[in-house]
Formats: sequence, C-alpha cells, structure tokens
Amino acid sequence: MTLAQAVRAPHVRRVERRPRQQAVHRRHAPASGLAPARSTSWEVRTFLLASGLVVGGFLLVLLYLAQATAVSAAGYEVQRLAAQRDELRRQNALLEVESARLDSPARIEADAARLGLVRAAAIRVVAPEAVAAHR
Amino acid sequence: MVTVSRARVRFLFALFAIASLVLSARVAYWQTVGRGDLLARATDQVRSDLVVAAQRGVIRDRAGAILATTVELRSLYAIPGQMKDRDGHDERPAVAAALAPILGEQPEVIRAALESGADWIYLRRRLPEDIATRVAALGIGGLGFEMEPKRLYPNGGIGAQVLGFVNDDGEGQYGVEGRYDDALRGTAGRLVVERDPANRELAIGLRTASPARAGQDLVLTLDLAVQTAAERELAAAVQREKAAGGSIVILDPRDGAVLALASSPTYDPARVGSAAPEALRDRAIAWTYEPGSTMKAITVAAAIDKGVVTPKTSYNDVGYAVIGGRVLSNALGRAYGPTTVSQVLQRSQNAGAVFVASKLGAPDLYSYVRAFGFGDRTGVDLAAETGGSVRPLAEWYPVDLGTISFGQGIAVTPLQLAAAYAAIANGGTLFRPYVVATRRDADGEHRTAPVPVRQAVSPETAATLRTMLTATVDDGIANLASLKGYSVAGKTGTAQIPSDDGRYVDDAYISSFAGFVPAEGPRMVVVVVLDRPQSKLLGTIPAMNVFKAIAGDALRYARVQPDRP
Repeated sequence: MTLAQAVRAPHVRRVERRPRQQAVHRRHAPASGLAPARSTSWEVRTFLLASGLVVGGFLLVLLYLAQATAVSAAGYEVQRLAAQRDELRRQNALLEVESARLDSPARIEADAARLGLVRAAAIRVVAPEAVAAHR
Repeated sequence: MVTVSRARVRFLFALFAIASLVLSARVAYWQTVGRGDLLARATDQVRSDLVVAAQRGVIRDRAGAILATTVELRSLYAIPGQMKDRDGHDERPAVAAALAPILGEQPEVIRAALESGADWIYLRRRLPEDIATRVAALGIGGLGFEMEPKRLYPNGGIGAQVLGFVNDDGEGQYGVEGRYDDALRGTAGRLVVERDPANRELAIGLRTASPARAGQDLVLTLDLAVQTAAERELAAAVQREKAAGGSIVILDPRDGAVLALASSPTYDPARVGSAAPEALRDRAIAWTYEPGSTMKAITVAAAIDKGVVTPKTSYNDVGYAVIGGRVLSNALGRAYGPTTVSQVLQRSQNAGAVFVASKLGAPDLYSYVRAFGFGDRTGVDLAAETGGSVRPLAEWYPVDLGTISFGQGIAVTPLQLAAAYAAIANGGTLFRPYVVATRRDADGEHRTAPVPVRQAVSPETAATLRTMLTATVDDGIANLASLKGYSVAGKTGTAQIPSDDGRYVDDAYISSFAGFVPAEGPRMVVVVVLDRPQSKLLGTIPAMNVFKAIAGDALRYARVQPDRP
C-alpha cells in the first residue's frame, strides 16, 4: 500500500459504509440535512483530538522539562550539601588536631613550667589495706 | 531576456556537484571513520575523570590520642593574568604588598613570583587554616585555593622516630609510616562525571564512581605520656652530659609491647627537610654499640641455666683474668679477692665475667647469646631495623670468650638489649617487640597477637637472675637506680667505642643502664644508653638517673602499686 493509499483508506472505508447509513436515514428522515452536520462534528472532533494530542504532548514535554530541571536543581543542591558536609568534616578534623595538640603532655608540661608550676618531689601512695583499716 | 549559456550552466552544475560530493564525503568520513575522535573530543569537553585520593589512616597511641593524621589544607595559587583593575592597570605589586604580611614573606619575593611569566603558580602550599582564612578574606581576584592533603603530627617531635614521616609524594618513610605504608595509604578511587561550564557536576549526566578505600587506622602500643617522659629525660641528659646522642627503650616484658622509644638527636616530622641525616636514624633499632657490662647478666644467666655455676659459686678475684694469652682487667684494675657470682654482677667485675664464661665455654656462650636474640633483628614492626653483630663461633678467637662475656666484641641495638632483659623479667621467654597493637578498617579490628620467639632460659634461671639483679641495685653498683617504694632490678654498662682501625677510642665511652621494675612482677623494662657522655666512666650515673626519673613517672602514670614500704 502506498502512502496515498494509506491516507485515503479511511475515507474509502467511510464512503463504503456511508451509503448504508444514509439509506437508513433516508428511510426515516429524508432531506433532514443531518449528513453535513455529522461531517462538521467529525471534523471538530478530529480537530479537538489533534489539538488535544498537541497540547497533551506539549504538557508532557513541559512535565519532562520540569522534572529534568528539578532533578538538575536537586543535583546541584546535593553537590552543595556534599561540599558543605566535606567542609564540616574538614573543620572537624582540624579541631581534632587542635584538641590533640592542646592535650599533648609536652605542651601541658611547657605551659605548666611557664606558669611557675614544679613537679611534685614525691607522691605518697597509700595502700588500699591502710585506707580500709581507717574506715 | 537574459540568456545563460548551456556550458556555463553545466560548469556551475559540475561545480556544485563536486562541492556536494566533497562535503558529502567529508560528512561521511566524520560520521564513520572520524566519529570516535569527534565523540571523544566532545566528551572531553564535558567529562572529568578524577582519581579520588584515599584518606591516609590515623595513628593513635594506646589511649587513643592522635599521633598522626591527615587533613586537607588549602594551597594558595595565583593567576597573574587576572590581576588587573577595571582600567586594565597591573595590580600585581598591590597584591604582593597585601599578601606579604599574612604569608610572612617579603613583598619582593611574592611580586617576583607573580611576575615570573607563569600563567598559573602556587604561592604557598598547604597553608595553616588561619592564614588561609585571612588570605581568603582579602577577596583578591586572580587568587584561588586548592585542597591538598597534609600529614599532621599534633605532638610535634614527640615519637618522631617511631612514627616516621610522609614525604611530598605521599609515601611513608621510616618508622610506622614507612613500615605500614601500604596499610595506611588505602586504595584510591575513581570518579567519572560530566560537568557544566561552571565545573559543576551534572545531576542527570554520566556518573561512574568507584569509591576510594580509606587506609587503616593504627593504634600503637606506645603510651604518649611515657614517650613524652622518655624524650624529655633523654634530651635533658644528652644536653647536660653534652653527649653525642642517646636512646631509651621501654618495653612491657609481659608481651614485648613497646611503650616508648626515644632517640637523640631527633627531628620534627613537620620540618623533615631541615633535619640532619643522623636525626632521621632511630638509634633504638638502627644503631649498634658494644653493650659493655649490661651483657654480664646474659653471661651469668647462661651459666646458671646451663648449671655450671650458681649465685654462690665463688672464685678468687685478683683484678684480672688471662684468656687466650690476653689479660682482661677489672675497671680501674681493682682486685676483690674471694667473690661469688652474685657479687660479680653487684660489683660488675670483668674478671668475674671471664671466670663464669670460662666455666660455660664458647659454644654455649654463643648459643645463649643467640638465644637471647643478639645477632638477629628482633622483628619489631618498624622500618630500617638492624640486627647487630655477633660473629660466627668459627671466627671467635680464644679471647673472644672473655671479651664477649662482659660485652665487648659484640654489637647490639638498645631494643635487642631491652628484649633480652624482658626475657629475664618475664620468666625466660623472648618476645618479639611490637609497636602496632591494632589495625582498624571498614571490615573491623585486627589485633596483633604477642609472638613468643623462644624460651631463652628456664623460669627458674630467670627468677634467680631477677634476685641477683635486684641485689645489684639494692646493694651494688647500680644503687643510684633504686626507686623509693619499688623494687628495681638492673645492671649498668660502660663500654669503650671501637674505632675504624680496630682499636678503642681513647677516653670515650657509651654508658648505659638496663633494668626492670618492679623486680617481682615487672611491668616495664627500661634501657637507657648515652653516647659519649662528658662524665665518661661515671656516665652510668646520668643513665641511672634517667632510668629513675622515667620509671617513677611511668609507674605512677600506670598506677602500679608500690611493692616496698
């Protein structure tokens, strides 16, 4: 079947069916002028269907674009949040290093010496038995 | 009417036909043969293929304190071509002037870098965070930051010899960093993504990622407080004695765990570039010396274990011994008369050590020396350990039996000596010293099991030696090492230093003390070695003082109950 035949085919089918329908109409309502009204209605329906398809397609495209834009925007937000997370982790690591530096026994000893503190000459250790005896 | 000649039309037709053919051929080429190239070029413009560096593992001490960690720091770069104001005037001099006080650099130096002709240049790498923040606050166009990892050591130079360092290529060198580089380093990942012109990742574009696997975290047996005390006391002793260097090893004799390893000279891992080569050497494991009289304990242990002497076996000390045609004298040539083996240790008599070794014989002395681990690497999990030197028995001269009995003609590392004394302390078992207690990664925790290498002497022999070495501190030559409230066992050592020509250097000594505390149920073995102290033969006194200071601090810190009134 050629393209022209394919395009024409529905019309051909309609032409084949229409005489039977028209014959019925002619018996019950001759010369009522219904045939042109139905033709107009069919064209309107076709137009509306085509328009609907176009609008629907347009809306679908819009929906796709909106989704794609939303996904893209969310992707950028994810990246921003990931960068923020990484920076916070980095700052946390730096704080841990600073904490370790401040906890360093060498630093504490140096600061204590700077404050004029001296090491205890002797530390008396009391045996647990002696403590228990005094209770 | 305009007429066009048929020939001209044909010519034009042919021209367009040829042009169309050429264009078609070109299009066909790019769509077939050249398609891959075009596609690759187009892809390259939007695709980035990055290696995701793995986070290097953290190193902690036994209590969890951070000893080494890696942090991303900001590196400052400049694009000099962008340093122009709205009128196109050069702003590089002004930029240099603004940066100089923050970076602590001369403006001329920065300006020279900016005017070097480079399109892109690092001005300073891995800036401290506060300085990077101050530079960022300037808001200067043409300056930017790039993140780069940096290994940080929050305790400065403390534990530097044990930890080692990481070079600019990210490779661990020396110490734990070198020995465990593969475990610490982790596995790099890969990220392939498409990016927009602003270099942002496209959410709906291509994304292929194989995540990086972070390196293992290591928990060491090292105790930061004990390590700090050891380094403080060693530095003070070396400075006071104007010694060439020194080393301190502290082991837990129960399993061979290393509690502290100090070495002098040392360095700051943050400034490795300016460190002297000698400072990079960990003297505790990579420096050998003649142990001197600390070796007498090994000789006596061997003889008692073999059953050829007892603590009460006696001989008549005349101040010297003759062996292999050579005369080996006591220190200062002093004669002690009737002497027991126990007194040999208490007075540190060379002639007595020769007497004991003669009873034992060279093959057995050699065998026990090797059994205590001398002549082999201890197997400690640190990079660059040496094994010392014990000549094969076949190469021994007759006199070697005598000299080796009191620690000459043999070379050991401080760690080897500490491991041998640990064997005496724990009942005779020689343990392999270890530094890494635990490795942690995403799969869980891997703990290091202590490795008993061999039974060097019987538990009974070890117990006898503990008693004899306790008497050496309580009533003998090592009395200055006694500690109030605790029983201490130990032995001093003063050794001459061999020169390249085989003779001994005049008037130069290595002084040492090896001991453990408490003598019954020992918790730590401490070996202190000072290289060429100014007080020469009396150099064992500062070594004992160092032992005393460290042991006092460490026992208190470990909350070890006193075992004496």
